[in-house]
Amino acid sequence: MSDHKPEKKAKPPRAFGWVAEYADDNKLLDAARKVRDSGYSRTDAFTPFPVHGIDEALGIKATVLPWFTLIAGATGTSIALLMQWWMNAYDYPYIISGKPFASWPAFIPVAFELTILFAAYTTVFAMLGLNGLPKFSNPMFTNPKFDRATDDRFFLWVDSRDKYFNTEKVKSLLDSTGPISVEEVREDDSSSEIPKGIFSAIFLVIMASLIPGAIVLRMRSSRSDEPRLHVFFDMDFQPKKKPQQSTTLFADRRVQRPPVPGTIARGELELSDPYYLGYDPDKTASLEASDATRMVAFKAQDAAAQDPKSAAVDPKPAPAGAVEPNYAWLTEAPIEATEELFALGKKKFETNCAVCHGFGGYGDGLVSQRALNLAQGYWLQPTSMHEDRIQKQTVGRIYFTVTNGKGKMAGYASSLTPRERWAVVLYVRALQRSQNATIEDVPEPRRADLSSK
Amino acid sequence: MATIASKVIDNTIDTPGRRTPLVTGNQTYGSITHMVSRISEESQPLAWWVTFLLAVPTLGMFGSLIVYLFLTGVGVWGNMSPVFWAWPIVNFVFWVGIGHAGTLISAILFLFRQNWRTGINRAAEAMTIFAVVCAGTFPGIHVGRAWLAFWLAPYPSLNLWMWPQFRSPLLWDVFAVGTYASVSLVFWYMGMIPDLATFRDRSTSKFRRMVYGILSLGWSGSSRHWMRYEKAYSLLAALATPLVLSVHTVVSFDFAVAQLPGWHTTIFPPYFVAGAIFSGFGMVVTLLVPVRALYNLKDVITLRHLDNMNKIILATGSLVGLAYATEFFMAWYSKNPYEVFAFVNRAFGPYWWAYWIMVSCNVISPQLFWFKFFRTNTIAMWIVSIFVNIGMWFERFVITITSLSRDFLPSSWGYFSPTWVDIGMLIGSFGLFFTLFSLFCRFLPIVAMAEVKGVMSQHAHAEHRHDHSHGHDHSHGSTH
Amino acid sequence: MAANTLNDNVTMPASWRSKAPILAAVGFCSVLISLGLFHFGSSAENEATGFRMFYHSYLANYVFCLSFCLGALFFVLVQHVVRAGWSASIRRVAELLAYTIPWWAVLFLPIVAVVFSDHGTLYEWSRGTGKVEPIVELKLSYLNPGWFLFRALIYFAIWCVAARLYFRMSREQDETGSTEITLKLQRWAGPFIILFALALNFAAFDWIMSTDAAWYSTIFGVYIFASGMLSFFAVMILTCYLMQRSGRMLKYVNTEHFHDLAKWQFGFIVFWSYIAFSQFLLYWYANIPEETLWYRERLDLSTGWRPLGYMLIALHFAVPLLGTLPRAVRRNKGVLAFWAVFILFVHWLDMTFLIMPNVGHASAIMIVGHFICWIGMVSIFISLFMFRVGETPMVATRDPWIPDALAYQQMPM
Repeated sequence: MSDHKPEKKAKPPRAFGWVAEYADDNKLLDAARKVRDSGYSRTDAFTPFPVHGIDEALGIKATVLPWFTLIAGATGTSIALLMQWWMNAYDYPYIISGKPFASWPAFIPVAFELTILFAAYTTVFAMLGLNGLPKFSNPMFTNPKFDRATDDRFFLWVDSRDKYFNTEKVKSLLDSTGPISVEEVREDDSSSEIPKGIFSAIFLVIMASLIPGAIVLRMRSSRSDEPRLHVFFDMDFQPKKKPQQSTTLFADRRVQRPPVPGTIARGELELSDPYYLGYDPDKTASLEASDATRMVAFKAQDAAAQDPKSAAVDPKPAPAGAVEPNYAWLTEAPIEATEELFALGKKKFETNCAVCHGFGGYGDGLVSQRALNLAQGYWLQPTSMHEDRIQKQTVGRIYFTVTNGKGKMAGYASSLTPRERWAVVLYVRALQRSQNATIEDVPEPRRADLSSK
Repeated sequence: MATIASKVIDNTIDTPGRRTPLVTGNQTYGSITHMVSRISEESQPLAWWVTFLLAVPTLGMFGSLIVYLFLTGVGVWGNMSPVFWAWPIVNFVFWVGIGHAGTLISAILFLFRQNWRTGINRAAEAMTIFAVVCAGTFPGIHVGRAWLAFWLAPYPSLNLWMWPQFRSPLLWDVFAVGTYASVSLVFWYMGMIPDLATFRDRSTSKFRRMVYGILSLGWSGSSRHWMRYEKAYSLLAALATPLVLSVHTVVSFDFAVAQLPGWHTTIFPPYFVAGAIFSGFGMVVTLLVPVRALYNLKDVITLRHLDNMNKIILATGSLVGLAYATEFFMAWYSKNPYEVFAFVNRAFGPYWWAYWIMVSCNVISPQLFWFKFFRTNTIAMWIVSIFVNIGMWFERFVITITSLSRDFLPSSWGYFSPTWVDIGMLIGSFGLFFTLFSLFCRFLPIVAMAEVKGVMSQHAHAEHRHDHSHGHDHSHGSTH
Repeated sequence: MAANTLNDNVTMPASWRSKAPILAAVGFCSVLISLGLFHFGSSAENEATGFRMFYHSYLANYVFCLSFCLGALFFVLVQHVVRAGWSASIRRVAELLAYTIPWWAVLFLPIVAVVFSDHGTLYEWSRGTGKVEPIVELKLSYLNPGWFLFRALIYFAIWCVAARLYFRMSREQDETGSTEITLKLQRWAGPFIILFALALNFAAFDWIMSTDAAWYSTIFGVYIFASGMLSFFAVMILTCYLMQRSGRMLKYVNTEHFHDLAKWQFGFIVFWSYIAFSQFLLYWYANIPEETLWYRERLDLSTGWRPLGYMLIALHFAVPLLGTLPRAVRRNKGVLAFWAVFILFVHWLDMTFLIMPNVGHASAIMIVGHFICWIGMVSIFISLFMFRVGETPMVATRDPWIPDALAYQQMPM
């Protein structure tokens, strides 16, 4: 830059250099070349738009600006990637939509945006910085003619600090380039005082802008005994009762209401209908063994199964039925046995049960075969449905097993509807009968088929 | 070479080998300055007052509706299950799409050395920023508790002690739109510095001189400054070009990373970008046709400028049409029943009217621009540009709402209808947009004077060279 | 203005042209050698494998060459539609490149033949009804040999008509200098761009994407377009560089043109990466099995193609991006020529990545055979290009925009 900050002491106004005014850019270019060829290097031009070729004509060197952009861009990329990795994979890792903590593909968009953000802002501020802007006082501005430098005039400037500078020579050189005018630029002799009001105004604005923040900070760090401000009154105080509260509305003053006798709550039908349970809950309640006794027995069974020592000693579990729940099992399926139902039972059995229990129900399904082949030693073969014990079980008991599972077997309540479960139970019954059949079970006309094979 | 001696009156006629002048009517550098500066120096025409006085109450309505929304909750909108993303997101994508033309004109056309950008870039950039402001409002008020929207920023919070989720495209959007808004703003401002200096130097009142003096940062027009300024401008253009693309790409990711048929398709990124450019140019034409008539800028924003913009509208409209076709074809080709259903549902389902409005406005109406009459007739192009705006709003409506309203389970299907608040907010956002745009016309240079003058000078040199090359030698001398 | 007032030599050296027949022979031999190598090298599991490998390799290398010829055609059309001045002095090279497309139509015949032989050698779907997996079975209404051939004919018709029109008219202008021709070509460019875009989009689906018939991606046409344009600019830079090295086109093509071509090349490096990343990200994120299968074949450790995927990220994106970023590189045609060759190599990797994993796991024999086939196909391309050029001047010397092209300068920086 060719200009210096005006110095206070200088009295008469110091001369900074000479400036010539031109009406078009070609004249300016020719003049600039001439001045350059005369050896002056502290020169500049002031133009309303960037004049093509002026850099070469004035001998202006390329700028280092692109380096700022490049470095800022690289910084932006690195910061973004590091930040995302640190925040999502290191400091606060949690799984979302099954993606790895460090999901690099998902980090690319933000990395790109921050690259651009850093590079763009650095470019603009570096440009302003290298140009020494903002700079509100400039000796050039003292001359009213210079106002047209942003309109339609072109100015060429030779600085008085140039080592070849000589007022007369420069003037005559500039005169010889066909300018509109040639003038000396003098120090800005207007008052350098800034209007007093400005500082107080700026101070007031800054102070005022701090107020909201200060209030927030104060509110956050202080305690108050005053009740809080309720902006959304109907949200803070809703006309409702919470659990465990009391009310004067009911005689027993309970907010939570017990069920009305003889009714079944929504969604609790399955807890009271034998069709869903496999046993009659009312009758079970009147049986001798209390729930508590049964619970203790179950606990003991679980502990035995989980104790590694007892497992090592005796890989077989406690004999099934030892803690057989004492329920009022249904002895007949609460559903009409139709051929269609048996077909459904077969389909569901073969889909859900046969993988372990085998198509014949002998406990030799593919999973079991595979496990035995692997011979890992701790595989317990699934129960055969043709064991005496199972044969003797009521349909309700089998239904209970299908619903809730037993031992390693999971319950199928979530996969099969009650109707499908009953269908499976009936199909199991049919399987059992088929495997223990006598010739009498075959219908008369078809017995001949059997003997012929 | 301060004047352009132009014998050509219609600068839309192509002469191979010669560039038509981009400034008509024997303008000089000085007359350009006067033509543009006078707009902010003189009192505004009646039409400006009408626009402004209509826009401000509409903006007030927008603000009131936002307050109503905050006090009551998002239930005032029509958003429902399964259309959880509804009207506000449509508005967001619509506005952010419009906000692409400005930076595109400044950046991409700059890189492509399309000099005609200079007449229109300033107004387009301003439009970009105002559109992004409108766009940013909608996700802001859509987060539910808008006063906690700052949780989106990765700041160390002592209360929460946790960080935002960078694997979510919605957070990418925060960064993309945020970066875009701030970079566009600085690009716009930087471009304005020399023109603000012109305002400063022409100002007659002390107050005006001081305000524009501070805004122009003491710009003197020094060639050393210009050199760095131009370098910075071209670097910003090179940075802003991929940025423009990335913004709508990320917006498209919001949709396309989901598994929803109609959203999840790989052509979304470039197709959204093409659509955004399309809608942006549509809005530029909508704004500039009246502006150039109102402020008598016909010599700077010439028919050639409008002609070129209409060609871009035609090209991007056809690209969007190609993308629609590709999507349909690929849904059919994939034989994925959900995809097939989603697209058949778009065209023939309950929202068929939205789909066909979209197709006719976006694909069919720009085809008129194959004819020069429509490209150079301001009334015709203005009508088409309005259609483009409507069509692009409906495009976002079709994508968002049609796809969401048909969940995978027919039991979850629904039909979205906007409430009066939805509609009021869409209208209100136009109030915000036009308020800002009229203030811009009133106070800031709406044409980039310095750049227009640069182009005039370049054209003069080219004409000089052309005359020269018709002589007997090919030496280009050292004058340029 | 008389033609070629610059007194510049704009014809291809005769010594190059004289080598064209040899190159063609070398090319065909290399392709045959690769066939033999695949056939005898594919270790015995079944004989079809070698043949399948060869066909996939042929397709990949065919598309490698065709893509930049199509890129050239698009370049010519776009230069006309935007009334570009800077490119007037190099546009003829692109016109000539594009005008080799009719010959590529002939080289497409082996692919047509294999489609009709219904062994599924190249395209699984060509086996026909009852012999393909159910999802492909559903697509047979679109993917069937007759309809495939018909579409290919349409694509080639569009491209050949456009390439021929733009080359012939430009040649006519060499004689007459008529500016009417420029106006006419400018008018036709718009409609041709639309036809070109449709044809390229669907050709990409038909020829490349359907090698994995179950998979689909709407962006695929754009991907091929990006690859084609990128490699076209590399070919353009290389051609201009080689011509200048033999003392041709020295005055018509200057540093500014190289700089601009390099900027375009840079732009398309970024654009390709953008498209490739978009496609990957969307499929990776949604993680829908039928969409990720395609990437699984390419990026799963077991298939052996993963290194190629990483190479594409590094060599198709990062390295050339940084390499061609400095202004100094873009203004140095020797360094640019190196980068052009580099880009063409990674373009070949890209085409390999798209097509070859469909045959199976990566193996040494596959890579070697594929490389030899590539050498062969490139030789064929060079000889075809030389035949096409012949005595034709490689600069449209009487184009009205030539003075613009010569005078044009980058922004000083």
